[in-house]
Amino acid sequence: MDSGDDIHDANDIESLNEDIESLNDNYDNYDDDAAAADYFDDDDDDDTHPAKSRRIEQSFTILKESDIRQRQEDDIRRVAAVPSIPHGAASILLCHYNWSVSRVNDAWFADEHEVRRTVGLLEKPVYDNPADAKELTCGICFEAYPLSEIETASCGHPFCFSCWGGYIGTSINDGPGCLLLRCPESACGAAVDQDMINLLASGEDKDKYDRYLLRSYIEDNKKTKWCPAPGCEHAVNFDPTGTGKDYDVSCLCSYSFCWNCTEESHRSVDCGTVSKWILKNSSESENVTWILAKTKPCPECKRPIEKNHGCMHMTCSQPCRFEFCWICLGAWRKHGGSCNRYESGEQNETEKRREMAKKSLEKYTHYYKRWASNQSSRQKAVADLQEMQSVHMKNLGDSQRQTELELKFITEAWLQIVECRRVLKWTYAYGYYLPDNEQAKKKFFEYLQGEAESGLERLHHCAEKVIQVFLSDDPPSPSEEFNDFRKKLTELTNVTRNYFENLVKALENVHDGNPCDLDKRPWGAGAMMNEMKE
Amino acid sequence: MASQASLLLQKQLKDLCKNPVDGFSAGLVDETNIFEWSVTIIGPPDTLYEGGFFNAIMSFPSNYPNSPPSVKFTSEIWHPNVYPDGRVCISILHPPGDDPNGYELASERWTPVHTVESIVLSIISMLSGPNDESPANVEAAKMWRENREEFRKKVGRCVRKSQEML
Repeated sequence: MDSGDDIHDANDIESLNEDIESLNDNYDNYDDDAAAADYFDDDDDDDTHPAKSRRIEQSFTILKESDIRQRQEDDIRRVAAVPSIPHGAASILLCHYNWSVSRVNDAWFADEHEVRRTVGLLEKPVYDNPADAKELTCGICFEAYPLSEIETASCGHPFCFSCWGGYIGTSINDGPGCLLLRCPESACGAAVDQDMINLLASGEDKDKYDRYLLRSYIEDNKKTKWCPAPGCEHAVNFDPTGTGKDYDVSCLCSYSFCWNCTEESHRSVDCGTVSKWILKNSSESENVTWILAKTKPCPECKRPIEKNHGCMHMTCSQPCRFEFCWICLGAWRKHGGSCNRYESGEQNETEKRREMAKKSLEKYTHYYKRWASNQSSRQKAVADLQEMQSVHMKNLGDSQRQTELELKFITEAWLQIVECRRVLKWTYAYGYYLPDNEQAKKKFFEYLQGEAESGLERLHHCAEKVIQVFLSDDPPSPSEEFNDFRKKLTELTNVTRNYFENLVKALENVHDGNPCDLDKRPWGAGAMMNEMKE
Repeated sequence: MASQASLLLQKQLKDLCKNPVDGFSAGLVDETNIFEWSVTIIGPPDTLYEGGFFNAIMSFPSNYPNSPPSVKFTSEIWHPNVYPDGRVCISILHPPGDDPNGYELASERWTPVHTVESIVLSIISMLSGPNDESPANVEAAKMWRENREEFRKKVGRCVRKSQEML
């Protein structure tokens, strides 16, 4: 932030508040939007309310491993409530039907026979072992074993414990496919359930199987996903019927991500824009744009050439060696050293394309720079917040005689900064894709973005720089000064939060498929545009 | 594990010596290594391969029968399901977890109930009826589909060559 901005000016903050007030007045004419009115009420609150989120109700639940196991067991029991489905079979059925209890039930009651056939739950053995036999021959090692050392799946094909162990172990070590393991007999489809695994596999293999079963519950279930943060072992259950379009999820590990695309949270900007932007940032296409903008192709062999110095007489490199004029791209021979005469309509397609490419590169660079700076600024803010909490808070508490609770406003300011940097970052991806021909929308968006950004800069400055005097080795004794600082930072936090909520709301309303909405916002365009003129 | 594999292979070798099966003969490449078998497959009657004696090596992994052996013809053979270097490509020799495209039914792939005998019988059946849908030797598959006469001649040459090698 520019150090010239005078953050200490109390009038500045007051004028900010006035802005919001006036928006508020304007808004009061439109009482029907209750949720939004609610949100504006925040303005009138006192300083002490927490940095709360606008979210009314969480549409997701974070699951720890014990929660996952509990839910999985509950689902298995619900399927096993059908008298003809034992516990092990219920688990196999759920594996086949993506852990959806209702899908299992629907399929089972529609055509039990067919479900049994595809899943491999046989009603009676297909292989009859002699009823009076004392010994059976294992189908793999062909040795005879007493009945107590032979095990069979629902089909009745007999194998000895050791061969079962080898078969199951190989399958488990091959990966999660072991969850759908069948009897080894070729062309026999009888399922091998967890009870058999627990009876026949080694301890290590049993644990692995158990792990795969747990993973399957999260990964094959449409309502759950793992938290994508590295090293985090929590899962998220998301209920899409909740708030509609709010996909933001915050895990217990503090990572926030978008449920829909599992990229980091990008609320206010839709997943499509985010993925386009990420692809654009990583793609080779930007190299191509650069080549187009900064180079010209050799008129003979078409290889791109960058001219770095010297005269206009170009000679292409080996093996082409074509000589031409850099300005008109004509052959140097015919050219005779000048192309000064103007001929109308001379600028050809290539020339135009290059011109356009150059402009488009400049545009991209503009947005990318701001996107990336907010990204790194956010990372810095996260680090600063941690340092604040781990080092400075205690000192500050001692020097200013403040309780932990009394210093909470600092943490809240930093949390707000972190959140705003994230939102602001993504508005630059949004801005990049905003069509050039929608001038009014663009103008309004840029106005909101600008307001939000300068609010954030003031807040960030206050939290980062103004606080320094209290963190120095020789801090001022507890005083009015610190109370002023508290007031200022708290107000800035609230004001900035409001600006960002405006911005986010405006963008989200555009996503709802009503592009004119920006101009119709009750508190919106009219009033703001007028202010802009003032 | 290795001892279970070698016991099972020894048992099968003994059984095959005692009760030979029509259509092939089997033995070890080297008497001290139970994991390398040498088999001679007799071209099945009423097929293009009739009269041929085709040698192949079967190599068993140490975790047999939980993983399949590989089979490679050492005699020259022209067939859609045999790679130009002689390796045999049939579904029962593929481990169950090996087919990401799902071309083969899991039930057609390797399971530990297969024996030397059932594998060789599968190869003999492959010689009688090539599967040209997922060929190992694309050229042979193409010729099998489009130019049966040329295919017949080419196989005939392999058969004669195999007889001369005896």
